[in-house]
Amino acid sequence: MTASTHDLAPTATHRLPGAPSALDVVHLQTAKRFMTFAVPLLTLALVLAISGVVAGVFYQLGSRPGTEEWVANSRNNPGVLWALPGFLGYYGVQSVATTFPLALTLGAGRRAFTAGTLLFHGLLSAYIALVGLVLLGVEKATDQWFVGLYLMDVVVLGGGDPLRLVTVLFLGSLAVMSAGAAFAAAWVRFAARGPMALALGTLLVLAAAALLLASQASAVADAFQLWWLAAAAVVVIALACAAEHLLLRRASVR
Amino acid sequence: MDDGRPIFQQIADQIADGIAAGAYPEGTQVPSTTELSAFHRINPATVGKGVNLLVERGLLHKRRGLGMFVSDGARASLLAARTAAFARAYVRPLLAEARALGLSTDDVHKIVDETADERSTP
Amino acid sequence: MTRQTPLAAAPAVRLRGVGRRFRRTDALSDVTLEVPEGVVCGLLGRNGAGKTTLMSLLAGHGQPSSGSVEVFGADPFTHAPTTSAVSFVRDDQRYPDDFRLPHLLAVAPRFHAAWSTERAAELVDAFRLPGRTDVKKYSRGQLSALGIVLGLASRAPLTVFDEPYLGLDAGARQVFYRQLVTDLAEHPRTVVVSTHLVDEMEALLDRVVVLEGGRVVRDSTVDEARAAAYTVSGPAAAVDALTARLPVLASHRLGGLRSATVEGELTDEVDDAARRAGAQTGPASLQELVLAHGVEPEVGVPGVPASAAARASEGVPA
Repeated sequence: MTASTHDLAPTATHRLPGAPSALDVVHLQTAKRFMTFAVPLLTLALVLAISGVVAGVFYQLGSRPGTEEWVANSRNNPGVLWALPGFLGYYGVQSVATTFPLALTLGAGRRAFTAGTLLFHGLLSAYIALVGLVLLGVEKATDQWFVGLYLMDVVVLGGGDPLRLVTVLFLGSLAVMSAGAAFAAAWVRFAARGPMALALGTLLVLAAAALLLASQASAVADAFQLWWLAAAAVVVIALACAAEHLLLRRASVR
Repeated sequence: MDDGRPIFQQIADQIADGIAAGAYPEGTQVPSTTELSAFHRINPATVGKGVNLLVERGLLHKRRGLGMFVSDGARASLLAARTAAFARAYVRPLLAEARALGLSTDDVHKIVDETADERSTP
Repeated sequence: MTRQTPLAAAPAVRLRGVGRRFRRTDALSDVTLEVPEGVVCGLLGRNGAGKTTLMSLLAGHGQPSSGSVEVFGADPFTHAPTTSAVSFVRDDQRYPDDFRLPHLLAVAPRFHAAWSTERAAELVDAFRLPGRTDVKKYSRGQLSALGIVLGLASRAPLTVFDEPYLGLDAGARQVFYRQLVTDLAEHPRTVVVSTHLVDEMEALLDRVVVLEGGRVVRDSTVDEARAAAYTVSGPAAAVDALTARLPVLASHRLGGLRSATVEGELTDEVDDAARRAGAQTGPASLQELVLAHGVEPEVGVPGVPASAAARASEGVPA
């Protein structure tokens, strides 16, 4: 969608030069370059630093890099998992709660806003997956950062498998951001009642599912396949995106 | 810039005053709509309306792409119109006030002469 | 791209029977009005009269509960090109965390086809807006100035300002007025502006719409509005006698003097009678007409109390 420029005469038709596109909204969402692209890097660097401190403690306690105990402890450290979601959840909320009113003030349509925001979430998730992949490469090439640290080569990120790492980081980031955006959309549409109702609904669905599956818990656990998690993430993303679209379609700016 | 009359009229009168006083000699350009708008902080459409009033009266004319210019004979025609309106605009209110104060027409003549003398011998 | 070519005759704004309900209160009721293209329309009325609600509807920020809103012949809520043809920076505009002026100036041209970088730079300079401060930390006056930058530089076919002067000192307000008329002279477009500073902004306006309790009580050109009323002032007894049978909109007493705003055109008959009774007649200002509709200016509005007092005292015989 581009602005039409064929109207040269200052008549009635010059007035509507076309609406901002989803791409314009992506530009709005990424206007703060540093915040968007450097903060994930800094967050991961912080995780690495903390891992270093923790490793130092283990070292003092007598554990030595390279030993089986050391590797098992390090690779089971889910540091990355608690570091990124906080930042990404905040980003998901922020990308709708305050950016929606600004986008509409600047003249974006609701559909372009939703599409652009989803595109932005996809873009940022891909960026984080890529950063993870590069870091995994560096980690392997430097023999665990020269001192036996494990940042990306951890169990929760697929235990060093690049494909699994990219999948987990991409789908995980997208799921967290989409969920944040859906809650923010509920807030934009219905004020404080929105997110509360959405949380309550989600809780009820999860509780019902747990009750249903409780009787067959052991069977489910036995049959569990890793791809189920990926499928669950895809479902969460799809539901969150649909909710965001439906909530914003008729949302007023307050 | 407000004496209760429509603003476009006040704008027209102000430009006309400028022409009558010789501030805008015949054949020269008067300020553009944009300049007048910005100076008085007045809606440009209102300024345009005031300027058009003077165009209709033949005092200004438009030169395409250049702007508004004072027409030949504009000053003379303005002065003639004002002279014609002098009695109504100034003398009648003067006499009405004189009557209210109980002054006769002779008294008024005397005051006018005295005031004129004062002004000529400062 | 969907593109809707409106009828050439379509006005910039057309509201038909518009109502807007919030819970149990009607913010707007049966509002029908048109704003022709290319005019500057003042939206007047006391706080809570529905001005901001009306402007939200124009910008497609909200939807009416009843009736229809058309901007350039289309619905600004659903028709995206129309949404983008309107600029409306709210007085409580939300900005993302950590957003600064340069972020906004970098992004805005993508959203407004006619965005003027020069006008934006000139305004930022004139208002001395800081670029290194988070927009969320701006003062009231700086937020207003930012709204003016975004609104005026957008050159949006319909630009809406909601009390754009809040927190601005007299000098900054003059900057706004000057930049507004200069830009409009070069790039004519439709402007809707709500204001309590009627005296100060009257000369900027072509039309006025006065809202009272969510209804339109006046919709006319400024000249028509000014011709629609006159004042009679002088000794209270004389003014009372003169206006006893006239439609008095408002009346103020100052000691033994009274000033009454009368609806209608001043007739020679009334004029003569007033002069004989030692009272004076004069044109009503837009402010007086608006005041007569129960629209009180806010306390501390510059100029208003002084001029009102001056008008009331004009009838004093020397």
